[in-house]
Amino acid sequence: MSAISLSKVVKAYGKLEVVHGIDLQIAHNEFVVLVGPSGCGKSTTLRMIAGLEDITDGDIRIGDRLVNDLPPRKRNISMVFQNYALYPHMNVRDNLGFGLKIAGQPPRVIEERVMEAAEILGISELLERIPAELSGGQRQRVAMGRAIVRHPEAFLFDEPLSNLDAKLRVQMRTEIKKLHHKVKTTVVYVTHDQVEAMTLADRIVIMKDGYIEQVGTPMDVFNHPVNTFVAGFIGSPPMNLIPARIAGDAVVLSDDVAVPVPDRLKAHVSDGMAVTAGIRPDDMTPVGHGIHDTDQMAAVELTVELAELLGTETLIYSHLAGHEVQGKMFDPRDVAEGETLEFRIALDKLHLFDAQTGRSVRAG
Amino acid sequence: MIRYFRTRQAALTPLLLLMPAIVTMLFVVALPLVFSLWTSLTPYRLTRPETIEVFIGIRNYVRIFTDDDFWAAFGRTILFLAIALNVEFLLGLGIALLINKITWGQRTLRTIMMFPMMFSPILVGFQFKFIFNDNIGILNNALQSLGITDQAIPWLVDGRLAMFSIIFAEVWMSTSVFAILLLAGLFAMPRDPLEAARVDGCNAWQVFRHITLPFIMPFAFIAMTIRSLDVARAYDIVQVMTDGGPAGRTELIWTMLARVGYENARMGQANAMAYVSTILSVAFTYFFFTKLIAARRYMGGAE
Amino acid sequence: MSRALKRQLRAIGLWVATFVLMVIMCVPGLWVVLSAFRPNREILAKPPIWIPENPTLNNFAKIFGIGDAQVAIPVLSYFWNSMVIAMTSTIIALFIGMAGGYAFARFRFRFKNSIFLGLMLFRAVPGIALSLPVFILWSRMGLIDTQMGLIIVYVSLNVPFTIWLIDGFFRQIPISLSEAAQVDGCTRWQAFWKIEFPLARSGIAAAGVFAFLTSWNEFALASQLTRSTDSKTLPVGLMDFTAQFTIDWAGMCAMAVIIIVPALILTFLVQKHLIAGLTFGGVKG
Repeated sequence: MSAISLSKVVKAYGKLEVVHGIDLQIAHNEFVVLVGPSGCGKSTTLRMIAGLEDITDGDIRIGDRLVNDLPPRKRNISMVFQNYALYPHMNVRDNLGFGLKIAGQPPRVIEERVMEAAEILGISELLERIPAELSGGQRQRVAMGRAIVRHPEAFLFDEPLSNLDAKLRVQMRTEIKKLHHKVKTTVVYVTHDQVEAMTLADRIVIMKDGYIEQVGTPMDVFNHPVNTFVAGFIGSPPMNLIPARIAGDAVVLSDDVAVPVPDRLKAHVSDGMAVTAGIRPDDMTPVGHGIHDTDQMAAVELTVELAELLGTETLIYSHLAGHEVQGKMFDPRDVAEGETLEFRIALDKLHLFDAQTGRSVRAG
Repeated sequence: MIRYFRTRQAALTPLLLLMPAIVTMLFVVALPLVFSLWTSLTPYRLTRPETIEVFIGIRNYVRIFTDDDFWAAFGRTILFLAIALNVEFLLGLGIALLINKITWGQRTLRTIMMFPMMFSPILVGFQFKFIFNDNIGILNNALQSLGITDQAIPWLVDGRLAMFSIIFAEVWMSTSVFAILLLAGLFAMPRDPLEAARVDGCNAWQVFRHITLPFIMPFAFIAMTIRSLDVARAYDIVQVMTDGGPAGRTELIWTMLARVGYENARMGQANAMAYVSTILSVAFTYFFFTKLIAARRYMGGAE
Repeated sequence: MSRALKRQLRAIGLWVATFVLMVIMCVPGLWVVLSAFRPNREILAKPPIWIPENPTLNNFAKIFGIGDAQVAIPVLSYFWNSMVIAMTSTIIALFIGMAGGYAFARFRFRFKNSIFLGLMLFRAVPGIALSLPVFILWSRMGLIDTQMGLIIVYVSLNVPFTIWLIDGFFRQIPISLSEAAQVDGCTRWQAFWKIEFPLARSGIAAAGVFAFLTSWNEFALASQLTRSTDSKTLPVGLMDFTAQFTIDWAGMCAMAVIIIVPALILTFLVQKHLIAGLTFGGVKG
């Protein structure tokens, strides 16, 4: 039995349908991240799970209960909001204890649970302060504390880190991960940031335009994107996508650039098929500066148009078969603009998508 | 089924919440307005109650529209509003800019400015009747004592001066609305566009004209809308200061309809005038409210 | 001219302008207030006497009919009427306005903008124009010269603007607070009273003060719908002094003070919230 299950869930505002009958099973204590560009329906989906939005059609279950028509308070979930939604007129202690108080818990229990949550999050010293006196990171902790005191069946996070600056965001990301290890509970987490998704999730759900594009573990969606959207969305810098054609055993990118079809994909392509070739920058590296230990390599020559120095690696912008591409130089040396370098493409990392449907040829 | 019911219920909640407001307005405003419309189509006189049942079509309207006195009062009302509102806006803008520049005592000044707004209009009228009184008024008294003039200036007795005096009273009472809201606009104004404009080579006037003014215009529209809701407060002021006099030289549409309705007891005709004045006020409010909505839209884009 | 000198001149100019402005704003009211505390002889003195030389409470005593006063104006009943009418109509308008303002701030529904505009347009009907049909209708219903008659009118006068202000205050409160409370176990009703209402409280108080003052100060309708001490309010009572050919300036000034003082105190208490309410409701669509 799943902790949360969505089946054929539809959300429509009048005639405008924004979520188109999605299915999703979330296991107990699983950390699931809904990720996608803005407007993809991820927040709406989360709010439907929370009960803050009515569902137009389909079923949502939490545990073994059908919750379609239950108001939020009866769903036994807790939620961390993007702007934290701390009650400005209550101090931290009352913010944390509010849900328990509403539930009619005795003061002793409230006190105990509040202290416990404060301890876990390291905010014991802040209990008497009001939200206005807290920093962004502290507010974030209080918001999480408010979520955990009630020992709910699931935590819902709605872009909780988007209001923090970059450094704090990375720090809080780790804390959320640690928190999940400490407080074993089901988590549904919404973000538009694929790095957050990759680092936090047990499973990632990638959404676009109200549909689920792919569900899988971070490694799964990274290594085996089912379509060009997922391929371009997951991974930074994004995968290079180049239109190509299959000619015999070769992927022809342009008249003068072709790479062999990798063995593992041979069965999935046919001669003359129009495809999109996907190559991650990490898999296209100058000779002697790669990270792959494989024989299956294709060689291309690229002229450096711009080199971005990142320290441990240099990002190289160039054109391949008339398309802008990025490659990576690990263990970098100085490169000059206009310099032509010989690159190696790791063929076992090459992705091929059907040009018509955008779907991975392996997915059929 | 249950879901259908729940969505229906959700759609009903706001209407349920609004119901008391709508019922109140319908009962106390809309219903009398309908009644007023009917009355304006009768020769109703308070002294002869049965006349309310006599339908005479638009004869009352024909009569007032062919009456020079009515048109004079109507034109005077428009003139009065045009002058008062423009002066209030410009003065309010000036005051807001002035106070915005002051670094010390800003909040005290703002508080003082709120006070005229909260004065009863009848009190403002009385206060200026007292001050402008040609005989015992402090204004003439002070002017004479300072040796600026040796005669009593007939502020409320001369037609033109009386008009000036009531406009002065109106401006005194209402400029604050503009000043306070425009000041709030200036406070809310972000620094960046100002600095960007200055870097782009604008001089002080250009910065004001192209950056500051557009930004605070929505606030001006709020003030205009609020003002337009009760322009007819001027009735109170005029009523107590001049009662339309001397010789009808400060008669506004509002004092005229009160006179016709209550003093001459010709309710039918008065209601016809009331309708004209209502349409005037409503049109005025509608105009500024739609301006405000439009301005809101581009304010939303700036955020 | 050096820059420093220029700057100093500008600062001085600024102060002079502000000073003149404040004089114009304050002196008329101040003159009335000062005149309330001095004998008639001093009011009429030439050249004017600014600071009362013989401050006296006689004018007040006179209008309250204390001592050897010959003309007593029933100020106490006017005051009582004003209080009852303004208070009651404010409280009712606040409840109606809170419900309406909340609906506008928190719900999407059909014809929302039209309803809002409609409410405002109803408010725009001139009081004196509205007084004609209301006068006729109220006479038939026996509501003329009753506190109830005026209370009903003032409620409708105050509802639109109260909704405008309260809508603004509720809109300042992030909707996620109410949602968080609902997730935390509240019903929508509980979320409103425990979270949103306390946060909007000062704003609602400001709206209340505004409504109170509108009723307190209203004249056009009150002057036609009231007759006697049963329902006459202070602004209408003020006209008692001009009923004769001679005006009792000193008495009128004293009465003016009685009308002004509550207004000034209330304005002072809520001025900050009032400005916030007007601008938030208006600008942030």
